[in-house]
Amino acid sequence: MSDQAIVRIRGLRKAFGDNEVLRGVDMDVVKGEVVVILGPSGSGKSTLLRCVNRLEEPTGGEVWFEDVQVNLPKTDINKVRERIGMVFQSFNLFPHLTAKGNVMLAQRKVLGRSKEEAARIAVEQLERVGLDDRIDYYPAQLSGGQQQRVAIARALAMDPHVMLFDEVTSALDPELVRGVLDVMKQLAGAGMTMMVVTHEMGFARDVADRVVFMDEGVIVEQGSPAEVFDHPQHERTQDFLGHIT
Amino acid sequence: MGTASPRALNSRWPAVAVVLLAMALFVVPAIAAAAPGDALVGVEITLNNTSGGSLTRFTFVAKSAAPIDSLDLAFPRGFDLSKITLDVVTLEGLTRVPVTAKHEVDGTALKMTFSPPIGSGATIRAQIRDVRLPATGGEHEVGVTYVSQGTAGSVASPEFTFETVKTSELLSRWLDEQPWVKSWNTVDALRLFAQPQKIAIAVPLLFVGWLTSITLVAIAFPFAIVGGLALAFARMSKIPPVRWFAGLYINVIRGTPLFLQIYIAFVGLPIAGVRAPLFITGVLVLALNSSAYLAEIFRAGIQSIHKGQFEAASSVGMTYWQAMQHVIVPQTVKRVLPTMTSEFILLFKDTALLSAVGVFELMLYSNSIATRSGNLTPFVVAAVYYLIITIPLINWVGRLEAKLAVAEGGQTPQNPNKRGGLFWRPASAGPIAEYEASAEVHESR
Repeated sequence: MSDQAIVRIRGLRKAFGDNEVLRGVDMDVVKGEVVVILGPSGSGKSTLLRCVNRLEEPTGGEVWFEDVQVNLPKTDINKVRERIGMVFQSFNLFPHLTAKGNVMLAQRKVLGRSKEEAARIAVEQLERVGLDDRIDYYPAQLSGGQQQRVAIARALAMDPHVMLFDEVTSALDPELVRGVLDVMKQLAGAGMTMMVVTHEMGFARDVADRVVFMDEGVIVEQGSPAEVFDHPQHERTQDFLGHIT
Repeated sequence: MGTASPRALNSRWPAVAVVLLAMALFVVPAIAAAAPGDALVGVEITLNNTSGGSLTRFTFVAKSAAPIDSLDLAFPRGFDLSKITLDVVTLEGLTRVPVTAKHEVDGTALKMTFSPPIGSGATIRAQIRDVRLPATGGEHEVGVTYVSQGTAGSVASPEFTFETVKTSELLSRWLDEQPWVKSWNTVDALRLFAQPQKIAIAVPLLFVGWLTSITLVAIAFPFAIVGGLALAFARMSKIPPVRWFAGLYINVIRGTPLFLQIYIAFVGLPIAGVRAPLFITGVLVLALNSSAYLAEIFRAGIQSIHKGQFEAASSVGMTYWQAMQHVIVPQTVKRVLPTMTSEFILLFKDTALLSAVGVFELMLYSNSIATRSGNLTPFVVAAVYYLIITIPLINWVGRLEAKLAVAEGGQTPQNPNKRGGLFWRPASAGPIAEYEASAEVHESR
């Protein structure tokens, strides 16, 4: 257990009824680390991510964020979530607000920033994701890739200590994927701590500090991209990578 | 003289009485010695019809104390003498003696000339038929002057009163006389359901009821929205008793007729010692009833918002209520607006049920006029009044729904061929379809 670990997961279990999706997961994510979680669908990787900010309530084990245990009833989860950014597969932008409005809302209501400050930061973050010319567009007027970059800006505006990316390019047309990955790469380069669930092997190889392969609710294998991609130890990892590439 | 104001008339009344008394005591017994000023006594005017705006017969009665050559009657302004016929007799004991009278009309002045002059001591009775009264009633007087043996004289103006008539009544009477109305009414169905005279009378009367109906629903509906929102959130509450209570309330209200709820409130509240005006009780029942339906509309609307919206709001640290207030409810408004408007239309029509317990709204007005006149035209007029509100709203709902379908389909004018991620859903299913299915359940009430 490293002192620097921002996220510590111990023996995490999650069941939906009789279906046990996570069956004892241990994981540490240290500051500045980019962890890419791979695995076939149904392996529990998205659920793992969603347990970190308690969008899913774990049924067993512990999840720690910095010095707070996330999965305790007495924990003010909203306080924790302020510092954990999350980007979803389906973008989930607020359709009644402009790009700027989307990025401003939680800054105003949750962090209590002034309108001017929130607006300034919103513009900054939208510039950062390359959307300075789309500030006043509504989500319906933006392409999927643009929407996803607004979603990233929305999370970044909260000054998160860790960012969770849940298959953020899966719903995008192929030509729009690159723009989103570029933003994520740039973010990783700037030292952001990231947990990324993705099927983009190229991204994992280039950007990840560590690759975690999950299957059937457990971590099967993990290591550096070179170790996992070039010398997978486990049969299921080999099988999965063989199918993907 | 004839244009004296009522106040002047009143203040002069004692003087008139004194003069009449003096005449009774001194003048009448001394007929032969009468001066010209006293040639006419005991002047009276009566009307056979005291409804303003109608044709009436004036009967002028007076006694002559000296021969009368001519008689002038000055009617107030607004009286129509253009169609009058005149019939003058003198009564001597029980026998009537016709008098040859010529008459001239000049505006509202009537001049009667007798040849030969009416002799002294006669009771004169002049019947003036078909005088058209003005619409505005009240106290009026006619100025009376005469010429007796070449000398002019006058008497105190006799007074009479008649009633003001409504414009609609006047219009109705006017319609009575129109040939096209007569032929229109020869068709039974038209006479029974769309009689022009009855329309003229019903329109202004029902207008009051219409305003009452609108006021009822305009006050009740905002309360119903607040109550409906509260119930919707209670229904979705994590606390079981709150959820159960809301569910029970909603199901009891939706599962029983509004008519029954009205009876319970209007009979029950007074028994329970709550004495409220009928109108207030009516507003209360409507609001309580509608809040249950609105609760289901709101709940369905809120639940139709993609789960991801709530998760996105939560992921940036918003509380449940912050997410509701800033993310979920604003999106819900657009979606529930058509169904909400339909509920408003239903509630507006349901105000008619309050007629059964005596709230004077549109239905009760039309019902009472219809039963009194034995004609169904007031109901048709009431229908038109209801439609004035409902038809535009129905159209509006249609347009809203069409707009919503376009927006939810993600087909924006800016990028018609793009698969706009957030809103894109298969046409056949998804929360909107589910939501609309639940809305249909509602509309079949």
